[in-house]
Amino acid sequence: MSRKKILVVDDSKTALFMVTTILKKEPYELITAHDGQQAVEVAAAQQPDLILMDVIMPRMTGFEACRELKRREDTKAIPVILVTTRGEEANVETGFESGCNDYVTKPINAQELLAKVRDLVAQT
Amino acid sequence: MKTPRDTHGAYVRKVQEGTQSFAHDLIAEVERLQVLVAALGAEKESLSGRVHEIEELAKANEALRALAASLETEMNRLQEQALAQRAENERHQKEHDRLQAQLDSIRAESQRFSARYAEIEQQHSNLANLYVASYRLHGTLDRKEVVDAIQEIIANLIGSEEACLFEVHAASGALELAACFGVTTESARAMPAACAPIAQAVKTGEIFVTDAQHRQGSALEDRLTACVPLKLDGRVTGAIAIFQLLPQKSAIEDVDRELFDLLATHAATALYCTSLHARRGALASR
Repeated sequence: MSRKKILVVDDSKTALFMVTTILKKEPYELITAHDGQQAVEVAAAQQPDLILMDVIMPRMTGFEACRELKRREDTKAIPVILVTTRGEEANVETGFESGCNDYVTKPINAQELLAKVRDLVAQT
Repeated sequence: MKTPRDTHGAYVRKVQEGTQSFAHDLIAEVERLQVLVAALGAEKESLSGRVHEIEELAKANEALRALAASLETEMNRLQEQALAQRAENERHQKEHDRLQAQLDSIRAESQRFSARYAEIEQQHSNLANLYVASYRLHGTLDRKEVVDAIQEIIANLIGSEEACLFEVHAASGALELAACFGVTTESARAMPAACAPIAQAVKTGEIFVTDAQHRQGSALEDRLTACVPLKLDGRVTGAIAIFQLLPQKSAIEDVDRELFDLLATHAATALYCTSLHARRGALASR
């Protein structure tokens, strides 16, 4: 069985390294992108099974990228988990309005992240 | 005067009357007897019916007796069966109790393993945090990248978007602002003088962490959550002041304290290495 592919998107090297370190021990193939624009391009080209994306990023924010991914025919079925620094209700609501399937807040709790990733990957 | 003929006639009439009376009585007696015979006949009939009924009852009684005997035998058999069943039930109950105890023990063991697994996952997560922080701090000799790494560690691993990095000035020994994020440069510069715990942490070399959860306030010093003195060979070379935590981060946790310990030495070393590298570069370019 082929490994599920996860696209991790963050402009912060530390956050990107942290998330990939957490997911590395799981049977996933990890690919990365550093901003929203690149995330949309990589997602369209690589068709990952899940996208884990930061909200605050240069060029295109996570919200904008999520909206674009959900608008495009070739990427709209890919589930998206947004990683947000701000866990306030309004921010979370904006995330869901942009079409994300779930969200996690920073600092990332590894158990919470793994549970959500496993759950969404299992549905694909 | 009566003649013999008259006398005889009277006698005959008398006899005739007697005979008639007798015959009449006889007929009455015959009729009575006939009635009696009829009654007796009816009674006989009735008795015959009763006899038949009694015979039937006797037969039914006999059948019931046989049935009772059979039922008694069946009852005895069922009693024996019930006793055997009870013994079997008791045996099953004991087996059930044994299996239940075994199941409870397995459940308890499973819970212990689950708790242990969660503990190991947590430890793994904590180690991952420390590994990432260490890797990022020592992954470059560029000062800006090290400062960015410190900022990202504070934002992504500790959970604060307000922090200042101070360095001890080599000549004056005073704390100088090296970088700040989430706060104004002006308020950050004022911190060493305005915020006693920062000066205290630099003086003692001990990490300061407030006991209060979620520091809030309009003044920056009121929002100080932690101050990590940066140490190189036991000498304090700077400090990282961390102010308000992110709303979803309720308090400083054990892993954060470990990160503070790591930052205290590794951030100092990383910053020192960048200055050495810069000096070496400057010497090489002369």
